[in-house]
Amino acid sequence: MSNNSNDTGTGKESAPGDWTTDSPMVSNPAESTYVESQIIMTTVRAVTPFSLTYGLFLMFHGADSPGGSFQGGAIIAATVLMIAFAFGVAPTREWLRNRTVVALAAGGTAAFALVGLVPMAFGDSFLAHPLFNEEFGIKTKWGLEAIEVGGVAPIVAGVLVGLFFVLAAGMFRDGDTTEPRTDGGAANHNRTDQPQTDDEGSPTASTGTEAQTDDTGMPAEDTTAGTGGDR
Amino acid sequence: MTELFAVVLFVFVLVTALATATLRDVLGVVVVFAAYSLGMALFYAFLLAPDVAMTEAAIGAGVTTLLLLLTLAKTVRTTPDQWLERPNLPALAVFGALFVVLVATVVEFPAVGEPGVMWDNPGVTQYYIENAYEDTGVENAVTAVLAGYRGFDTFGEAVVVFSAGIASLIVLRQVVFTRE
Repeated sequence: MSNNSNDTGTGKESAPGDWTTDSPMVSNPAESTYVESQIIMTTVRAVTPFSLTYGLFLMFHGADSPGGSFQGGAIIAATVLMIAFAFGVAPTREWLRNRTVVALAAGGTAAFALVGLVPMAFGDSFLAHPLFNEEFGIKTKWGLEAIEVGGVAPIVAGVLVGLFFVLAAGMFRDGDTTEPRTDGGAANHNRTDQPQTDDEGSPTASTGTEAQTDDTGMPAEDTTAGTGGDR
Repeated sequence: MTELFAVVLFVFVLVTALATATLRDVLGVVVVFAAYSLGMALFYAFLLAPDVAMTEAAIGAGVTTLLLLLTLAKTVRTTPDQWLERPNLPALAVFGALFVVLVATVVEFPAVGEPGVMWDNPGVTQYYIENAYEDTGVENAVTAVLAGYRGFDTFGEAVVVFSAGIASLIVLRQVVFTRE
């Protein structure tokens, strides 16, 4: 907790208004608020193995002790958040891609549904765990464990980490936070050049279409080049 | 000793809750709200609900605070001209009425851990307590209920968390790209 308040505290003192006025790109403020602190990095380096182990313990041992996969997944996600706060969001995203995070959440949901659907395939009701014992001789307990470890924990961890990343840096294609800023600049430059050759006539219309193409997550340079070729 | 601990904890939670409601500085509110969540987590642990306590500590005090702080770092934070929120009198009246009703209900509750108390829906609860281990082989009855007896509810919750998360990611991504 102390590193959070420290982080935002220094950000507040340096420039509270600068972020939003001169940099519309959302990725930059998070990087500018990042302060490389030896104390925070050392602390996080010491705490991380323990919190990650505790999260995994809660996840795998939730059936026999207080806790469970929801809490375990949340603590694992909190560990990733802690690392991102200490070492910066961009380096963390380099080894944990958006694709991985979303796949974690989607895979968890699919695994949960699959475990539930297997008894239905054998004519029982959804999530009827005792069937695993009757049909395959697997203990009923493992059906519950599969849901907890394979379903709930990945969903919670994936969603929390994904939300954090997208809030911190925006959901860029390859986790590179500096790229979209140059893209934005290129798009702006293109925009000022285009209007006289533009069919639609109004520059606002072209900016609208460019924003639309940006939504698809394609690199802005490619899309502007493509539309330029069409015209 | 435990009584003193409970009283101190109660005062702490009450003060942080009031501060969350009345402070005007948004950063201060986030920090105080995290402290409130931590107090509530201790309260749940004190009331012998460790599963809820862990969730509150991890989600309420940890992750939510981080996400709120990040949001603050992304937006403009104006320095408020006054320190405290000016109370809204009609809202305060409604709150007072609700408070009286709630307190009148709470004092009728039996003490925590009092033997021989009949709780709501005794048949189902008693069944879980007596049969959870034999039915599922899981020692933590909470897990047995969540993943076993009420597995379908948990599936619904998991899907809600997943779809809400994905929807937020999509919306935020569009906001990030159309801001310029």
